[in-house]
Amino acid sequence: MNDINWGLIGPLLALQVLLAVIGLISLTKAEQVRGPRWMWVLFLIFGNLLGSIAYFTLGRRDL
Amino acid sequence: MRRLWTLYLRELLEAVRSYRLVWVPVVFIILGIMQPLVAYYMPDILAASSNAPAALLENYELPGAATVMAQALGQYGTIGMLVLALAGMNSLAGERLSGTFELLMAKPLSPVSIVAAKWAAHLTVLLLAVGLGTAGAAYYTALLMGQLPWSAVAAASSLYALWLLCAVSLTLFFSAWLRGPAAAGLALLLAAGMSLAHSLLPSQTGWLPAALPGLSAAVLADGTAEAGPVICALLLILACIAGASLLTGRHKLPD
Amino acid sequence: MPLLEVADLRKTYGGRPSVDGISFSIEAGRCVALLGPNGAGKTTTLRMLAGLLPLTSGAVSFAGGSPGGDYRRHLGYLPQAPAFYNWMSGLEYLMFSAKLSGMRTREASAASAAVLERVGLKEAARRRIGGYSGGMKQRLGLAQALVHRPRLLLLDEPVSALDPIGRREVMELLREIREETTVIFSTHVLHDAEEICDEVILMNQGRIAEQGTLARLRTEYSLPVIRLAVAGEQRAVRWLEELSHSALVNGAEISDGKALLNVSDVELARRMILQSAAELDIPLLHFEAGSSTLEELFMKVVGA
Repeated sequence: MNDINWGLIGPLLALQVLLAVIGLISLTKAEQVRGPRWMWVLFLIFGNLLGSIAYFTLGRRDL
Repeated sequence: MRRLWTLYLRELLEAVRSYRLVWVPVVFIILGIMQPLVAYYMPDILAASSNAPAALLENYELPGAATVMAQALGQYGTIGMLVLALAGMNSLAGERLSGTFELLMAKPLSPVSIVAAKWAAHLTVLLLAVGLGTAGAAYYTALLMGQLPWSAVAAASSLYALWLLCAVSLTLFFSAWLRGPAAAGLALLLAAGMSLAHSLLPSQTGWLPAALPGLSAAVLADGTAEAGPVICALLLILACIAGASLLTGRHKLPD
Repeated sequence: MPLLEVADLRKTYGGRPSVDGISFSIEAGRCVALLGPNGAGKTTTLRMLAGLLPLTSGAVSFAGGSPGGDYRRHLGYLPQAPAFYNWMSGLEYLMFSAKLSGMRTREASAASAAVLERVGLKEAARRRIGGYSGGMKQRLGLAQALVHRPRLLLLDEPVSALDPIGRREVMELLREIREETTVIFSTHVLHDAEEICDEVILMNQGRIAEQGTLARLRTEYSLPVIRLAVAGEQRAVRWLEELSHSALVNGAEISDGKALLNVSDVELARRMILQSAAELDIPLLHFEAGSSTLEELFMKVVGA
């Protein structure tokens, strides 16, 4: 159990990255953002799941 | 009926363009598969944090498949519900406040069809999220802990989805007359209140929709279920749609 | 049979009347301007006609139908500040709009393409509405009101928020549209009403102050007036002052070498003034004899 099994963890990491990438794509397209854009970039890249959720629910004014 | 379909397709298009149809399910899959993984790797996680007492490590027992699956669904009851409420809070309030309703309401439509289309779109996102999420959770649980009967997983996640749908419908109802964040807050508060009431007085409040998460866990553990909370939840959802339609008919213009 | 018949329409907000018992009827094919200052109740009236606001009292019947019937499928409505889904393209919005009005997909697609071309948005049809200018949004608003070929078009201040170029474009469109369908549009600019409409309903403080065809109102409210302007010399201005005290002049407004004279007899006054100007060698710049314009009627009716 001490070796990390990438077959198990990999999909989780891939989904996290996918979420952040979708967030970044949406951020570049969004016309109006609450607060500075760089802050949301940090949220999306380093904020893990909660950072991405925060961006998608609170970050955008349109949509 | 054709108009309802047109409205529904527009809602779906909005869910696609805003990435909601993608990001919400992804969040649910992450939440779903995280739980079995965390349970499985708990000893490593504890060992990595240097101040974990050794006794905790030695006594750690891998929880059973039913427990882990119920915990995964439990994530949907907290973060999942928050996500759904926040993602859906502007669907009526946003249109009313931005004024897009004024053009919509001048068309030969009834408020019910507008509300029903929005509700159906929320249901679509919810089903996709819970469906894919529990599939992921069940797959990982089967891999790491042990097989669960397919039918029990389906029944348990359906019961949980119904509870989430109550929160989503409440959000829709409140957003028919409040601003988005207030609507989401009030819906979550009401759901939390029902849960609290149910945990304090389980025997008297067994009929509340808040009993659904417990029911879902019971289905996984021993396959028992009852109809009371299901009927109550369906009534609540219907009341939310009817109430939202009534209010939407009255608040057609920006306040 | 009139297309639209409105009887004793009322709307009160918290006891204060916004529309205070108005009645009118509109024949099919007419273009009617709902004219009045801001706050006269024009928008409230149009919103009630579009079914967006419940009536406090009164009756609206469409094409001889029973009062209170739902005629929204025959209606095109453009609000003062139309709001769209910014993430949709103009074409997507029109398709959506056409289908909601009851058209089938194929019909909706043909009608949308045609109407977009007509309002000059063919090139922009597949672009996001969020990137449209104010004039383009107004034209898209007009397009969504027209796409299902409504029998009655309700337009709320369709040009007042536009710059001169946008205004010109929309006015040209309206001039075409009025040939095809019945139009009611509200405005606070008399000139806009005169430009495209044949009838006006003049509203003030929730009531109809005057209504009728422009031609009838022009004759009814014509006053014998003479306008003249002189080059700004001392003696010319003095001459104007003297004119205003003449027996033929009932009232006068003089400023900056321009005069508006209310006279009892236009013919006599014209002869007198022109003779006098010729004798004294007054540098006349402008001379006009005849009736007052609607602008004055508008101001008079509104009581400003």
